Amino acid sequence: MLANARVLNLEKLTASDYLLLLEEPQFAVQASPGQFLHIRIKDSLAPFLRRPFSVAGAPPGKGVLQIIFRVVGKGTAVLSQAKRGTSLTCLGPLGKGFKPTPGLSPAVLLAGGMGVAPLLFLAHLLAKEQKKILLFYGVASITELLPLKRFLPPQVELHLATDDGTSGYRGPVTALLAEALQGGLKPGEMFACGPRPMLQAVAGQNRGWNFPLQVSLEERMACGLGACQGCAVKIRQGGESSYRMVCCDGPVFDGQEVIW
Amino acid sequence: MVNMADLRVRLGPLTLKNPVMAAAGTFGFGAEYAPFFAPEKLGALVVNGLTLRPREGNPPPRLAETPAGMLNAIGLQNPGLKIFLEEELPRLKSGRVAVIVNIAGESEEEYVILARELSAVPGIIALEINLSCPNVKQGGLQFGTSAAAIAKLVSKVRQACALPLIVKLTPNVTDISELARAAESGGADILSLVNTLMGMVIDVDTGRPFLGNITGGLSGPAIRPVAVRMVYEVYRATGLPLIGMGGIMEVDDALQFMMAGARAVAVGTANFIDPYTVPRLISALDVYLDAKGFNGPENIIGAAHR
Ligand SMILES: Cc1cc2nc3c(=O)[nH]c(=O)nc-3n(C[C@H](O)[C@H](O)[C@H](O)COP(=O)(O)OP(=O)(O)OC[C@H]3O[C@@H](n4cnc5c(N)ncnc54)[C@H](O)[C@@H]3O)c2cc1C
Ligand SMILES: Cc1cc2nc3c(=O)[nH]c(=O)nc-3n(C[C@H](O)[C@H](O)[C@H](O)COP(=O)(O)O)c2cc1C
Ligand code: FES
Repeated sequence: MLANARVLNLEKLTASDYLLLLEEPQFAVQASPGQFLHIRIKDSLAPFLRRPFSVAGAPPGKGVLQIIFRVVGKGTAVLSQAKRGTSLTCLGPLGKGFKPTPGLSPAVLLAGGMGVAPLLFLAHLLAKEQKKILLFYGVASITELLPLKRFLPPQVELHLATDDGTSGYRGPVTALLAEALQGGLKPGEMFACGPRPMLQAVAGQNRGWNFPLQVSLEERMACGLGACQGCAVKIRQGGESSYRMVCCDGPVFDGQEVIW
Repeated sequence: MVNMADLRVRLGPLTLKNPVMAAAGTFGFGAEYAPFFAPEKLGALVVNGLTLRPREGNPPPRLAETPAGMLNAIGLQNPGLKIFLEEELPRLKSGRVAVIVNIAGESEEEYVILARELSAVPGIIALEINLSCPNVKQGGLQFGTSAAAIAKLVSKVRQACALPLIVKLTPNVTDISELARAAESGGADILSLVNTLMGMVIDVDTGRPFLGNITGGLSGPAIRPVAVRMVYEVYRATGLPLIGMGGIMEVDDALQFMMAGARAVAVGTANFIDPYTVPRLISALDVYLDAKGFNGPENIIGAAHR
């Protein structure tokens, strides 16, 4: 559960997004889509706490995990300077991931920005199950567009939206999705990850649709293990609401059970 | 022959197999860290703050990283006494760990009920009264900052319970020694210190306090010098055995607390950074004592006062 993962490579994908390859054979075998690693970026007092990152892929037989991350603060800035051959202590693979239901097709993936990371890994699992897969992917602008083709199985049908219209549909990815649904798209089930407003919007609309929705959430974390009760989100189950922990009860939750 | 240190320590009525414990609220009920090492290695496990009734906890966000530490505003989320006794305690007992239960009440009455019920069940070696949790509106802090209230509360709990009684002090006061003496006069067997220091972070994007609870408790290395100083002062102010905590990450940190007067130490935030911190510190303490030719922790406890 705690390992020293070796940095095999760090590659710049866009102006602020990076691909990190970590060698950790046991984690690579254990990891399932939606799970995350809790990484000590540096043995320092600032950044101090571990940082959670989704597993974006674990190509079979390689013993390697892919992490795709965006530099948003001091921890990710330090991580973007990670040196090849050094190692990072990682807790993992943590959390409960996506659970696709056999037979439900097509699978619709909805990604906002960096939220695409766990969905890339999920796409490979769904592809193994021979499902039809559609990925709706939204970013602010063409400059933030990740080279997704490299990470996706070939059969994934990609629908792209940018807020500023510099590539693909102009507008929020949820609007692009809504148009596709109006146009007759009938998802078997849907998996979403991205900014909270996007997830909230799609969970709200989901009440009118009748297909299952799984969402992957983020919260501030300390332990990553369920011990500190820090990463709380409110969940309604069987008429009762309570705080559940993103790190161990999630990060993937039923979209209809989350209280936003 | 090589001198082998004996790590056992006595704290008044309590004997621990070693002086390194897991601090309340940072180690859950032990299950979360069981994949890393057997909980019985711990000198003691202070379990998650327990209240009489279940508590939902504070709205998120509950955590914020700060330089060399973190703020938390969990709000004592816990399943309450009944579920603790039915589900968590049996599991803890099967782990053969020395269990200390950290209790918090919204009234004196609740503390008394908790103490009475918990001292009636086997498998608990001591109670720790949380007087000082700064995150609960009606809870700890009022009790924790007035000497008269502490003395009264502790003596009531004392009468209701036969277990060794640890009183956990808040650092959010002008004179911690006065509160330590109040707890002693109320009948505390042991004092533990410090709880978190109240703090706050503003989100500059929104201009609003970042934490859902507005304020939170600061822990981690950032508070260590404050905590060491308080242990040093309280050691002089009372005759009670002390448990020291606040930012312990390495064995030297634990040594500082012991030299300042603590007979045992507790590790909180460091568990989040390295789940193996407690067993690592126990081994390192052993190595340190052996290297110095000391028989046990006794040789260093209170050294700073000699
Ligand atoms: C389950 C999960 C999976 C994630 N997967 C990815 C991923 O695949 N790629 C990626 O780029 N990012 C991912 N994130 C977000 C990532 O953890 C944060 O961007 C990162 O922690 C920011 O650290 P920082 O030091 O750069 O930022 P700072 O703002 O300096 O961090 C300060 C503190 O806030 C925390 N924090 C800040 N933003 C977030 C956030 N969005 N979620 C949780 N904690 C946060 C940090 O961990 C740190 O404790 C994920 C978050 C979670 C909870
Ligand atoms: C997430 C978290 C939860 C805590 N919960 C409790 C609690 O329920 N009761 C209590 O007495 N102290 C609680 N504490 C305080 C710790 O037990 C400890 O006194 C404090 O964190 C200082 O030690 P540290 O710097 O090693 O963490 C909590 C601390 C943290 C970080
Ligand atoms: S981060 Fe500690 S419970 Fe989730």
